[in-house]
Formats: sequence, structure tokens, C-alpha cells
Amino acid sequence: MAYLELKNVSKSFSNVTVVQDFNLEIEKGSLVSFLGPSGCGKTTTLRMIAGFEKLDSGTIKLGDREITTVPPNRRDIGMVFQAYALFPNMTVRENIAFGLRMKKAPKQEIEKRVNEVLDMVRLQDTAKRFPHQLSGGQQQRIALARALAVQPCVLLLDEPLSALDAEVRVVLRGEIRRIQSELAITTVYVTHDQEEALSISDKVVVMNKGIIVQVGTPEEIYRAPKTRFVATFIGTANQFYGEVSGKDTVTCKNIKLSVDGLKEFNEGQQVVVLVRPENIQVQSEHHNRRNWNAIPGTIETITFHGAVTRLGVNANGQRVVADITVGNTQPVSLNQTIWLSFPPDGCQVMAVTE
Amino acid sequence: MRKKPNLIGSLPNKKSRPTGWQILLIAFFLFYMLLPIVSTYVFSVATRWDRTILPEGYTLEFYQRAIQTSYFTITLRNSFILSMATVLVSLILIVPTVYWVHTRLVGAKPLLDVLMILPFGIPTVVLALALVQVYNFPPIARSPFLLIGAVVVYSMPFMYRPVSNAVQAINIHTLTEACQSLGANVFQILSKVIIPNIMSGILSGSLLVFSTVFAEYTLTSLLVGARFKTFPLLLVEYTRINGNIAASFSVISFTIAWLASILILWAGSQGQRPSKNVTRS
Repeated sequence: MAYLELKNVSKSFSNVTVVQDFNLEIEKGSLVSFLGPSGCGKTTTLRMIAGFEKLDSGTIKLGDREITTVPPNRRDIGMVFQAYALFPNMTVRENIAFGLRMKKAPKQEIEKRVNEVLDMVRLQDTAKRFPHQLSGGQQQRIALARALAVQPCVLLLDEPLSALDAEVRVVLRGEIRRIQSELAITTVYVTHDQEEALSISDKVVVMNKGIIVQVGTPEEIYRAPKTRFVATFIGTANQFYGEVSGKDTVTCKNIKLSVDGLKEFNEGQQVVVLVRPENIQVQSEHHNRRNWNAIPGTIETITFHGAVTRLGVNANGQRVVADITVGNTQPVSLNQTIWLSFPPDGCQVMAVTE
Repeated sequence: MRKKPNLIGSLPNKKSRPTGWQILLIAFFLFYMLLPIVSTYVFSVATRWDRTILPEGYTLEFYQRAIQTSYFTITLRNSFILSMATVLVSLILIVPTVYWVHTRLVGAKPLLDVLMILPFGIPTVVLALALVQVYNFPPIARSPFLLIGAVVVYSMPFMYRPVSNAVQAINIHTLTEACQSLGANVFQILSKVIIPNIMSGILSGSLLVFSTVFAEYTLTSLLVGARFKTFPLLLVEYTRINGNIAASFSVISFTIAWLASILILWAGSQGQRPSKNVTRS
């Protein structure tokens, strides 16, 4: 049963359509991410849910309530902003108590609730400090505590980690997920960082140019992207352009690839074969494995990423990237000739129509 | 002994002393600025000061006579009423307008900026005569209300600039939205979050308006004249009667302006808290 429901939502700013016919159902207690490049309409959609932007058309339902025209201060929706937006004139305690004071909650209840959320974000000792005396990460935790203090129906997070250091970002996203699961609060999380979206979401909504491109679990989005945009925006994918030349072969320039899942395509049809770098094995010699594709190439670049090393390989004029795990393979060097091999089920075929 | 590490970015501990020219320039500036004020102070306590370089003797007689002037209390009271009323009306008009323009009506900001320079461009005499002609019907004509309205317009830039700058210094959109998402209505947003965070601008604006209006002569004289006599009117009147008494009026006026400044600054430091913050963009 959908808890938060957006139906045919559209929005344009001075004739530029930012969100187009957006339809989405979000289940109670789940964390859904809006993921996409900047300008894809994800933040605008979030702001429409919050009530900060008016819809041009469509409806938004929260539970049994239609909230399309309800002003933001009566929606019961909490929000965390990229810029923290803590009130500089108030202490941490006063910041967190603000929403409860607006609700005219009794003093004791405010006190109790403030301590609860401070415990939740593990920042009890900062209660008397002012926002400027806290680090960015601490400020964002307080902003989260402040949004949660009023026990909103839905929590919205607008790129909450974008202004933070890489290390703090990883810790804090874990915290956000932990708190979200503990409270089972319905959450919408906007980000342009695919790793962030994949790691914390129950569902990811990939957006591009104002429309939803794909909705699915992080695994589905990564393993079975529906479009080339999704495949290349989420993770890296090698793209081999060619045409279907048999019941399980695609010919790309002078490379012949055996692939799975060609049933939907006709012979001669223009297609693109997508292969993730981690599905490619790099060998110094040609090993014959049944059905596996094997392409020779020369190493042009070697980029060390820590856990993996990414190789840029020139295979008959086609640029291919492949990941090798350090320690598992023999040392490689520039200009070395190697063999790239990958199984047919490691390839995904898409029609070239976009 | 280990050598102290040479910290990157630490500056050499060198005190820069002003050169001879700089000292001369500063001295000239101070002399230029302070001479009239100091002279006024001295003149207000001098028995006679027209034949010698320094006064021939000192007395507080002129202060006594100034305070005993029949109009002293009433003009002082009128000036206070006028200044306070102007500050209040200005605040009520300007603060919500600036907030509104910055959050909802951003397109109108250039227009407002231009409007707020206009009072500087119109000579006060012209403004006064125009107002007299337009508002020539009772009960507005020649009333203190007309005067308050006029000085509000006249002193508006002094309130608008500091308030507008203070609003620009905070991230007003996000703060407003944060308040809204926490259930606050527009009055709560203004009173609990926006106004406390632009207090510095509100205080300096109030200070400027108060001191400008307290010393205002032209508009008062042309619009209401003797019907609502203010302190500057009394002062100017006495420059024709007795220079020493006029000087002591000036000193009293200075002192009041300074006391008011200190009071407003003190009130500000009481209400204000440290406000360096990331939400300031």
C-alpha cells in the first residue's frame, strides 16, 4: 500500500519543463532515493513534496490526505537541507526544540524529546553549543535531530551530505540509514552520488531531464539497467556498438561478441553491448573457455583505486576499461599486450534508439 | 635545544609603526573633525571668548539658563516623540518589506533599491514644499503626523540599507523553509528566526534614523513650524538670541545622541549571540 503517492506531477519554470508526468508510490517506512545528474528535477520534486514549490499539475497524497495545496508548515513533513539551515541565534537544544515549541508541546515533553533525539544522533554533549561551534558533520546531525524531533510523517533529505568531507559522508550516511530503519520513517533522499544512493536505499528512482528513467532496488538498478543512461550513470559500463549477426552474436567493427538475451532482437538490428569492468577478466595469455569472449588489447592507462586497479585497454581501436584486484593477478605494465575475457551472461544488450 | 618548527602561514612578529606622514595625516583628520565639536563644548562653558585665544573664564551659567528656557522640556519631548515614532514606523514598514522582497518578490529588489536612493536625490526643501501642497487639508495639514510621515520617507534609506545588507548576509530562503517545515507560520518565522538574525542591521538602522531625525530641522520648520516645536528649532532660534546658550543646547543634543547610541548598542549586545555560521552564505 502506497503511503506517499505522486500522480502525474509536472512542473516547469518559465517554459522549461523541470518535472514531467512524475508518478511514484512510496511505501510506508521505506527509504527511497531520487538519483540523477544536476538539473534532472530531483530536488524540484522533493520541494514539491515539501510544499515549497507549487505543482503545475498532478496530485500528492500522504496516507489518506491529499496534500497538493496544503502549505508546508501544515504538512507534517520534516526536511534536512544541504546547507544545514540551523538557526544561528539558537543553541543546539533550542534548535531541536523549535518545532515542538511551534506545536505548543508541554515543556517537559519538549525536554524529554530533545534528549531522545540528541541520544539518537549521539551528540548529547553539544546541547548548549551554538551551531557555529560545531563541525559540518555535527551540524547536519543536529539538523536531522531537529527534523525528527517533531515526529514527522515523512522525512525529506535534500543532498544532505554534499557539503561534507568524503570520510564524514560515509559515516553519516550509515547513521542516517540506521536511524531511518530504527524509526521506520518514510524517507525520500535526494542525491547525485550513485554510491550513496545504492548503499542506503530500499528503492532508487533514477531521473534524467525531468522524467523517471527507472525505479528499482539498488541491485536491479545496477545489474539490470533499463537504458544506456542508467547503465552509464550508475557505475561504469563499456559500450560496444554493433549489429546483431546471429542468434547469440553481435559484431562490433571487427570484434565478434557472444552475448545472452538476444531473443528480442532481429538480425541486423543496431545494438549496444554493455559490459561492466568488474565482469572482465584480464589475462596475459589466451585461455580457451567455453563461450567466453576473448579480445586482445594493449594497456594504455593504469589507475590505482585502492581495492582495485582500473586498466584502460585499447582493443582493436575500441577503448575498454577493466578492473583487476591487486594481488589476484600478475603485475601489469603499460603497453603490455593482454587478453580480456568475459562470459556471455556478463553482457547486456540494448537497442540503439535513444 | 630543539628548534621551533617554522610554521607555514605564521606571520613574522613585526609591529608596523606609522610613518611621519601617516601621523601628520591622522592628526590633521582628527583636528578637522574634532575642532568644531570641541569648540562648541568650550564655548558653552566660556564666560567671554572673543578677544582672547582661550576663554577669559568658565561658567555653567548658560546650561542653567538653557534648562530654564520655557520651551526646553517640551521641545526635547517633541524631538524624542518624533525620533522614536519615526524609528518605529520605519521598522514596521521596512523589515517585513525587505523580508518579503528577498523571499517572494526578488524581481522587485532593483526597483526598491532605486526607490531608496530617491530621498537623497530630492532636496529637503522641495520635498517639504511638495508635501505642504499635497496635504493641505485638515487634519493632516501642518500636523505632527504629516511630519512623522515626511521624516519616515526622508530617513528611509538609513533604515533600508543596513537591514537589507543584514538580510543578504544570512541564507534567508533556507532558514525560512527550515522554519516552515518545522510548522512555523510567517509571524513566528519573522519574530523567532529572521529578526534575531538580522538584529545588527536593525540596530544600526534604528541608530542612524534616530540620530538623523533628532537633528532634523528643514522638514520640521517648513511642515509644522511652531505647532510642533522640536529641539533643533529651539537651537536655531537661540543662535539669534544667545550664542552661548545655543552652544549648550548643541552639547545637550550631542550628548543625547551619544547616550542613545550607547543605549542601542548595549541593548544589541545583550540580545545578540555569536553569529558566525555556515548558514550565512
